Amino acid sequence: MLVKINSISNVGLETIPVDVEVDVAEKGFPGFTIVGLASKAVEEARERVKTAMVNSGFDFPPKKITVNLAPADLPKDGAAYDLPIAIGVLIASGQLECTFSNAFFYGELSLDGTLRPTRGILLLALFANRTSDAKIFVPKPSAPEATMVKGVTVYPVGTLTDLVRHINESSPIKPLPHDIIRIDEEFESGESDLKDVAGQEQAKRALIIAAAGGHNLLMWGPPGTGKTMLARALPGILPPLSPDEALEVTRIYSVSGLLSPGTSILTKRPFRSPHHGVSAAGLIGGGSSPQPGEVSLAHLGVLFLDEMPEFSRSVLEGIRQPMEDGAVEIVRVSGHVKYPASFTLIAAINPCPCGYLGHPRRACTCTQKMIAKYRHRLSGPILDRIDLTVLVAPVDVEKLSLTRQADTNNLTSRQAKSMVVKARAIQSKRFIGTHMYTNSQMKNRDVKLFGKLTVEAENFLKLASEKYDFSARSYMRLIKVARTIADLANAETILPVHMAEALQYKQLT
Amino acid sequence: MKQFNRQTGRAGEGYAATYLEKKGYIILEQNFSNKFGEIDIIARDKHILVFVEVKTKIGSDFGIPEEMINSGKLQRVRNMATMYMKGELRQCRIDVVAIVLDEENGIKRLTHYENVY
Repeated sequence: MLVKINSISNVGLETIPVDVEVDVAEKGFPGFTIVGLASKAVEEARERVKTAMVNSGFDFPPKKITVNLAPADLPKDGAAYDLPIAIGVLIASGQLECTFSNAFFYGELSLDGTLRPTRGILLLALFANRTSDAKIFVPKPSAPEATMVKGVTVYPVGTLTDLVRHINESSPIKPLPHDIIRIDEEFESGESDLKDVAGQEQAKRALIIAAAGGHNLLMWGPPGTGKTMLARALPGILPPLSPDEALEVTRIYSVSGLLSPGTSILTKRPFRSPHHGVSAAGLIGGGSSPQPGEVSLAHLGVLFLDEMPEFSRSVLEGIRQPMEDGAVEIVRVSGHVKYPASFTLIAAINPCPCGYLGHPRRACTCTQKMIAKYRHRLSGPILDRIDLTVLVAPVDVEKLSLTRQADTNNLTSRQAKSMVVKARAIQSKRFIGTHMYTNSQMKNRDVKLFGKLTVEAENFLKLASEKYDFSARSYMRLIKVARTIADLANAETILPVHMAEALQYKQLT
Repeated sequence: MKQFNRQTGRAGEGYAATYLEKKGYIILEQNFSNKFGEIDIIARDKHILVFVEVKTKIGSDFGIPEEMINSGKLQRVRNMATMYMKGELRQCRIDVVAIVLDEENGIKRLTHYENVY
């Protein structure tokens, strides 16, 4: 008997329907073959399905079983076909009768018949949503991922036996109730709070602008002045994800299998800080069936590169294109995939290898050649894409004093966050109906549309451009930063004062 | 233990030969072997040359006989068949006879699979 079961295959973030055709032939030498460009993981489904069925108390028929994963020319990977194959074999061998349609099966089996967490459940749910009245049968630990999708009935399947009992109606599985995307507005400080960082008022201000508009920020200064601490405080002042954004981020984490079991949706902005030993494939994404890299995992959040010049040059240059386009296209033999990668880059560097160049009290011990070599690791094109550059200077001992009364006007993360949230609200109102969320995502055309410069502000910018010879890209980026500064001040148009502040953050000596 | 296995095998091959003869096959050779291996039964079904691999098991405690035949085993039979035909091009096929015996070496089940390769 021939049975057809619906399932899917994820190619990057795209979902393609896969028909799992199972044939149990009465005649022919017993055997179990899987065809349809199956990878090693899919091939091995044979042993998992066989053992899981026997251990769940079903017969594995000693007949000629052929499984075809259609379309035949699409490479299939992953263990998610275990469940559809097992159900197919049960139905085709007459051990189970299945009458319902619009059902999708997806999940990895363990040898005892329980279902293991499987990646990509959210994408399955979103795909199934296109058919009306769709039901999806997915592993219990990963099922919450799918509950955000309206119009799909989600059945959490614990074991193969549970599912069989559900299908033959002896003990139905209760579908998971639909959930709405609840964003936790409650303030939660990150690993460090802004108020714990002594001094550094300008750096804090730059951090707020970066958080408000999604601008890239470079902090430079001698070791031990608080660069890393400031960056670690950033998650605490970032606004919560909007429901649409949350779905976008969760999709990426779902295909990479990084959602911990039981998680339904990510509501916090991602903060990724890869070590400088990261490979190009790790940062940009890659592998024989391309997986998202750090830039995509930081989508709509922050990518923090500590000690940026220590990253290998070729790896670093790879982030140029995603920084500009907000997406990466990865091409491999098995095909090409596109992952979103719209992140805010926060970088921390020392001014020279010894770290004390320009220090008010300590002497730098580097030679000119060493400094030149160190600086050379950061290329012009990368620096050109960074909107805000700020010096994190050594702190006065006075400000560190523990016994002295603490600075009462020290900005806390909570205050900073409320400023950021307000500025973001203005932006999301501005970008209604577009695919943008922040000022930094504006393309040149959008800058002209939404920039709203006063004549004085533009003249000021022109003057500065001529003097410092800014590139066309820098020119546009300065307007975007000024737009964010104006939003923070709740100003309708960009005034010269906003432009002046934006220009302040355009310096690296 | 080994010799019991051999006895079981021989008994199975006997049953298989009887079964095939009853089916109208003409047995040409039994246990055709050289240093590369062995073919249990070579028979003729009308004008087709049939190479038969017989697999016998006692009881089902160690799985079914069909499980013991994999592509490697069939490839060996195929190689042997080529040697038997000495390069001649003849119509032929490979069959498998799976036999399950009970404790007293009586037949519990005998299944004949035609053209398995």
